[in-house]
Amino acid sequence: MLEANVIQTKGFKNVVQDGRTIGFQVRVRCSYYRGIWASLLERVAVTVDGERFLPEHTRLGLHKRTATLAELADDAETRWLYEEPMVVMVDKPGGLTPGMHHVQVLVTWRWSYIPVEFQPTTNIAEQQLVLVQ
Amino acid sequence: MTPSPSNKIQLSVSVYSYTADFLVTMSLEDCLADIADMGATGVEILADTHIPGYPNPSETWIDAWHQLLQKYRLTATSVSTWIDSRMFKNRSLTVDEGLAILVRDIKLAHRLGFTIIRPKLGVITLDLLPDPTWRDIIRRALPYAQEYNVRMAPEIHAPTPLRSKIVEDYVALAKETGTKYFGLLVDTGVFQNQVRAGDHSDSKHFFGSLDPAAAAEVGRVMTEPLCVDPEQLVDVMPWLFHVHAKFWDMTDELTDPHIPWDKVVAALVKGGYSGWISSEYEGRRDLFRAADILRRQHVMLRTLFAQHGVSLA
Repeated sequence: MLEANVIQTKGFKNVVQDGRTIGFQVRVRCSYYRGIWASLLERVAVTVDGERFLPEHTRLGLHKRTATLAELADDAETRWLYEEPMVVMVDKPGGLTPGMHHVQVLVTWRWSYIPVEFQPTTNIAEQQLVLVQ
Repeated sequence: MTPSPSNKIQLSVSVYSYTADFLVTMSLEDCLADIADMGATGVEILADTHIPGYPNPSETWIDAWHQLLQKYRLTATSVSTWIDSRMFKNRSLTVDEGLAILVRDIKLAHRLGFTIIRPKLGVITLDLLPDPTWRDIIRRALPYAQEYNVRMAPEIHAPTPLRSKIVEDYVALAKETGTKYFGLLVDTGVFQNQVRAGDHSDSKHFFGSLDPAAAAEVGRVMTEPLCVDPEQLVDVMPWLFHVHAKFWDMTDELTDPHIPWDKVVAALVKGGYSGWISSEYEGRRDLFRAADILRRQHVMLRTLFAQHGVSLA
């Protein structure tokens, strides 16, 4: 099952690699009522406690592929499945401290059936999340 | 009014109606069980949402889908798909690319038992005209639609009125080819005649500009009543394959505050419509709301059809 909100409580944690905490991850479900092809994505911006993270430091885990937004620009095969939240991994040496954090995720993507004057679509979700470790 | 003897109308529900609950409080099976419980006999889905692993569901899942249809005695009615002409930032999809997507989805629709597919071609500018590749994509898809017995029906959806160039063009193609595999799906949202609230999600959506004033104006434009006269349904009846019973709210008195359903039902009966009326709830996305509000709409629909001399199959 999914949590109702766009930003999922489950999966919010620091990322450890080779014994070092290199960053954190947060899981985001499609705010659209359908899944999204990777190439349709134009922006994924994570802000935690007011700190905005750069796209170069943000990797998107979509089902079978993890890549930066720039690397996904021409990928019409990789899909953000409706039933599987995207795992957003952010580089941040030392990670986040255990406790409460205010997380904002902004996603911009293209709808093909809305007048171009009203495009692209952006969703901004915010959530207080608990990071255990 | 004496109904046409050709009226054979049945109720379907789109699982889209359960968007708030789907995968949160209700599984796909729970949605089908609920649809059957309210007495509907048809089920509609969104390919991109309700088929796990779309566009390649597992054989196991496909078998399970058919078992669910049998268990709940539901007919697969229409499946909604999309041709994302804006798939790539710097160019539109070619005809070949759009066709490949549509053919893939026709074959998938057939495997799941659907006999109607609704490819979202959509308007691309405020002029209400679609990406021009639509005509060649549809023409070249016709042999596949026929082979797999899946009728193609693009949706006439607000802000496109029934009397519009795109509907003329769709009908012209149907007449010119003489095909039985291309027609129309009408979304009853076009008949909205009262202002409605636009916000139906827990997080904020912006269409284009992030400026709050611009966003408010876009929201107003996207929800304003189109006020199409339901009587116009009679004019398109020869090509009407499917109806989305779009709604956003129902009162405790079982009336729809935004859509003149008495006139819609009257026109469908007078025009001799045969086919599904498929509910699409699109109002506030509160948990547990869909099950209640769909039942309200179905009581209203059954009552109205009975008043017009048609008992729903």
